[in-house]
Parts: sequence; C-alpha cells; structure tokens
Amino acid sequence: MQKLQKSIVIWLGLLPVFSITLFPFVVMGTTSIKPQAEVFSTSWFPSSIAWSNFAEMWTATGFGRALGNSLYVSTLATAMTLFIAIPAGYALSRYRFTGRGSFKRFLLITQMLSPIVLVLGLFRILVVFDALDDAHVVALLYAGFNTAFAVWMLESYFSTIPKDLEMASWMEGASRLTTMRRVFLPMAVPAIVVTALFTFVNSWNEFVLALTLLRAEENYTLPIQILSIVSGRYAVDWHLVMAAALCASLPVAIVFSWMQKYMLKGLTAGAVK
Amino acid sequence: MRGNNPYLLIAPGLFVSGLIIIWPLIQLGTLSFSEVNRFGQVLGWGGVENYIKVFYDPELYVSSWRTLLWTIGVVGGTLVLAVPISLALNEEFYGRGLARVLLMLPWAISLAMLAIVGRWALNGNSGTLNNLLMDLGLITENIAWLARAETAFPMQIVLGIIATLPFTTTIFLGGLASIPTDIYEAAKMEGARNWQSFLRLTLPLMRPFINIAVVLNTIYVFNSFPIIWATTQGGPANSTDILVTYLYKLAFRFGRVSEAAVLSLIMFALLLVFTVIYVRLAMKEEN
Repeated sequence: MQKLQKSIVIWLGLLPVFSITLFPFVVMGTTSIKPQAEVFSTSWFPSSIAWSNFAEMWTATGFGRALGNSLYVSTLATAMTLFIAIPAGYALSRYRFTGRGSFKRFLLITQMLSPIVLVLGLFRILVVFDALDDAHVVALLYAGFNTAFAVWMLESYFSTIPKDLEMASWMEGASRLTTMRRVFLPMAVPAIVVTALFTFVNSWNEFVLALTLLRAEENYTLPIQILSIVSGRYAVDWHLVMAAALCASLPVAIVFSWMQKYMLKGLTAGAVK
Repeated sequence: MRGNNPYLLIAPGLFVSGLIIIWPLIQLGTLSFSEVNRFGQVLGWGGVENYIKVFYDPELYVSSWRTLLWTIGVVGGTLVLAVPISLALNEEFYGRGLARVLLMLPWAISLAMLAIVGRWALNGNSGTLNNLLMDLGLITENIAWLARAETAFPMQIVLGIIATLPFTTTIFLGGLASIPTDIYEAAKMEGARNWQSFLRLTLPLMRPFINIAVVLNTIYVFNSFPIIWATTQGGPANSTDILVTYLYKLAFRFGRVSEAAVLSLIMFALLLVFTVIYVRLAMKEEN
C-alpha cells in the first residue's frame, strides 16, 4: 500500500515535467494527422485522421531522397568509426604503453571540440580540394568527430572482457590476430553494436557540418532538408513538416528507449553530444 | 604482452581525429592574419587588424553576454530540474521503467528537429502553445513568440533545457545507483531526517557526478548551434545571437571571413579551458 501511495505521489510530481518534455511529441503527433484545412484551427483533435499526410509528405517534402542520404552518410560514418575505433579501443584495454594516458587525454579533448569552431576551416579546405557536396567527405568528418567517444566507450567495455580465453588461445599457438578475430571480437559484439548505434544516431542528427558542407538540395540529409522547407518559403505545409519530423525522430526514439540501460553505463566518461 | 604493436592500433584514430582538428586550425590561424575580401578570396597579409576589428565589434560583447545568459539559463535550469527528477526516478515505484523511458524520449529528437517543432508550436497565428494557453485562459490574444527577443530567447532556453535534461538525468541516475543504500539505513538509525540525509549524504556523494554534468553541459550548451539557428537564425536583427550563431553569420552570411576565423580561434581557446577542467575531473574519477 505504501508503495502505491509513493507511486502516485511521484507520478503526480513528474507530470508537469513530462508535460513540458513530451510537448514536442504532442505537437508533432497532433499536427501530423490533421487534414490540411484544419492545421491552423485551434482544436486539438482533427475531425478525421489524415493518414494520407504521411504519404503526401514523402514526395512533397523530398523525404525519401533525404532519408536515403541520411542513411548513406550515417552508415558510412558508423563503418569508418568502428574501423578506426575498434583497434584503438583494443589497444587501450589490452596494452600498457608509453603515451597511453596522453592518447586518452587527447581523445577527451577532441571529443569536447564542437565542429562549429572548426567548420569555417574545414569549409575552406574542402573548397580548395573541390570536395564540397560530397557525402563521403562528410561521413569521414563524422567518423573523425565520433572517434573519441567510440574509443572511450569501446575501451570501457573491452576492459570488462576477461583475458583468460585469449591467453588460452595463445597458449595453443594461435596468432594474436586469429585470437582477436575468433575469440575476442565475438565476445565484444554487444559493445560494438551499442557503440555503432550511438555513432549512427549522432551522425543522423548532426546539423552544422551537413548544413555547411552539403550545398545542393539533392545531397541534403534529413535535418537540413526539413529545415530548408520551413525556412525558405512563405507558406509552409506544417502538417507535412510535422509528419516528416515525426518520421525522422521515431526510429531514433525506439532505438534510444531500448538502449536506455546501456546509456547509464558508459556515459560519464564518454558522453553523447 | 607481446605481439602486435599498440601504436599501430591507435594510429588510424590518432591520424583521423588529429587531421580534422589540426588542419582546420592551421587554416583558421592563417585566415585570421590575412586580408580576405567578402567573396572569401585571400588578398594578402592582414596583420593583427582582424583581431582589432573583432575586439572593437560591439556585437561581440552583446552576443558574449547573451551566450553567458544562454549557458547559465540552460545549464542551471537543467540542474535544478534534474536533481529532484533523478531522485524520484531512483525510488522504487510502479511504472518506473516507463517513467525513465518517457524522460529519455526528447533525447531522440535531434536539436534541429526540436527547433523546427518549436518554430511551429510557437508561431503567432495558431501555434500549439498559443492554443494551449488560450484554452487554459492564460492569454487572451495570440503571441508571436519568436518575433521578439524578449519572448524568443526564454523559449529557446526552454527548448535547450528540454534537450539537455535526459542526458543530465542519465548521469545523475548512474551516480545515485553507485551510492550504497545501507548508509541511509544507518543514518535513519541515528535519527537523521530525510532532508538531513539528502544534504549530508546524497548531495556530497553526488558531487562528482554533478560536477561532470555541469562541465559537460556547459561545453555542449556553449557550443549549441541548432536550436537558435533553426528557430530564429539569431534574429530578429541579431537580437537572439549567441557567439556560435554570430560566428556562423560572420563566416557564411556577412562575408567577414577573417573576423570569423579570429572568433573561431577565441572560442577554441575558451573550449580548451573548459576541456582541461573536464579532463581533470574525468581523470580524477577514473583513478
């Protein structure tokens, strides 16, 4: 009984907080299902639910193409990040070497650097190399900005994997590389999946580099595409924009609610931007 | 351990993250001492003139001041909310899992998307917020929230808090989970009241986590570009500009590239100071 009482009190206390933090979802949800004629009406509930908004949004907002771009850039960035970060994380967790501490400090510093202070420099360099509007370059930059976080995260998980099995494998004459591939990596899969998801979501949501370095509309990622619809025009179809924003956010929301318990773990040192 | 060389394993990471920092920094350094026309072409050596221009620019001081308000507003507001929320979420109660997920949800919306939603919700005709306040009888006519800095800036701070809260609460929950529960029972035995054990036990034990959250949030919020850019672009008439949006305008709108380079370097230096503080805190945690 006491627990029930406590639960009610806590939920009542949390209610005002949720009404603010979940307000954006309410706005997206209610607007995206309104028929066009009712978008500016003051009622909360539409006369009929306009599911067709989602189909219309797909072409009207250029959602499909931007989705493809976002998927491509984020996947590529994630692959590159893992390729760079797995060996580095492995080295940090399995070797004690001179400069190990400095390398970790260097990673922390790079993690704190927001792309915004470097974006002008990056832009100028890419202009010289005629490399603007190139999804691969943007993906490489994302990989660079995500490396620090990924290495920290991987290292903290790798360190929890016992070394005994690797030792045993060496004893039996397997080479270091074989051992890493056959023994270590299979055990590290959960850590790698979580790191990959974080990197993917970071790239998915990245704003300032995409805004600056992708100039042609056909290369826009989702956030840039949706922003370009609302800022460039006089009349904005808000019901379609909100449908697009909802579709861009929901997959991430699902991934995040699933990853919640992992976030509690590796976050104080390697935090998400 | 023998075998592979660890330096070989960290080399790609070192190379890529070094490259994306050091190369643009060199570029910014050169630009800051160059004379650059408004089309971005370098005309020649500019000496320290760009630095002088930046320091005589009144807009720099206005947007610095606003950056301070923005950072204190978002970081402070988040802290004040996150402590009680994480204490509540740390209790055993029905639906705790659901409550945690609900609190984390705004994390999933990117800042740009949050700002776009804000732009619609806060619009002056029949934005969702106006509708809500009308229904509640709190206002009698619609307010164009984003049209004036006096209403736009506080709303941007609210959006900033919504975006920062999930991360901060997550860190605090991690901290609370590390506090052993038996010390509270001991305190109770000794006759301590709830608020006493909060002040004497919880708060001091949470201290490192609060420190880390404050420093990290300060860094992120100080640099946070999307919320202000996607709601007002720093307008109307630069009245909601913070340093990062002003920097972006100098570089990509006003064609004052070399001044933007100077400002980038100044901000880089400031960030480095914050980061050194953070590295100290984080490394202390580790040991």
